Amino acid sequence: MKNKLRELRATREWSQGDLADRLSVSRQTINAIETEKYDPSLPLALKIARLFKLPVEEIFEA
Amino acid sequence: MEKPNMMESVEPCSDQYSFKTDLRLNAWLAVAVVVYLATLWLNSRHPDWSPLVRGLIALTPLVPGLLYIRSWVRFIRECDELQRRIQSEAFLFASIGTVIVGAAIGALNTHGVPTAMFTHSLGIGGSFMSMLCLWSVGWALAKCRYK
Repeated sequence: MKNKLRELRATREWSQGDLADRLSVSRQTINAIETEKYDPSLPLALKIARLFKLPVEEIFEA
Repeated sequence: MEKPNMMESVEPCSDQYSFKTDLRLNAWLAVAVVVYLATLWLNSRHPDWSPLVRGLIALTPLVPGLLYIRSWVRFIRECDELQRRIQSEAFLFASIGTVIVGAAIGALNTHGVPTAMFTHSLGIGGSFMSMLCLWSVGWALAKCRYK
């Protein structure tokens, strides 16, 4: 699943570790989502959307 | 909540490393190994004891073994979702692999091919050993996939 997580993180100048701390997940999880090797669960996707104040479908697309 | 030792940063002295977590996670495995060795020693020294007592002694390592599984379940629940998936894949790999290894040893024994120390089946010690080795391989494979 494609996503804009890397771009969104870059606009806020957060490192993967910063974003991981804000979402209470590991840095490896953020890296796996950004490289599109892992699709997040619905609760995590909603958490990401809430953090960036965007609808989920704007961040993730099938 | 106590932060679990993430698989990406388990190096001792790193920020996220917690010796207490590792100790809590693996203490029951150490107990299981000690109890297993003790049962082997006891049963070999007392062949005169009744089969019931010898059987109960032989099954004793299962108790710390089950407690070890409980501590792993707790650890996995504390992990984040990707780590949970990696652990689940590693355990699935280890479980299915152990069944296959056990079946292969059984088949070899049936056809009269000697299998060194596993003359009847994997046994408790062999199963633990197989699970541990295959879990390590499964964990490394899953970790590579999501790297």
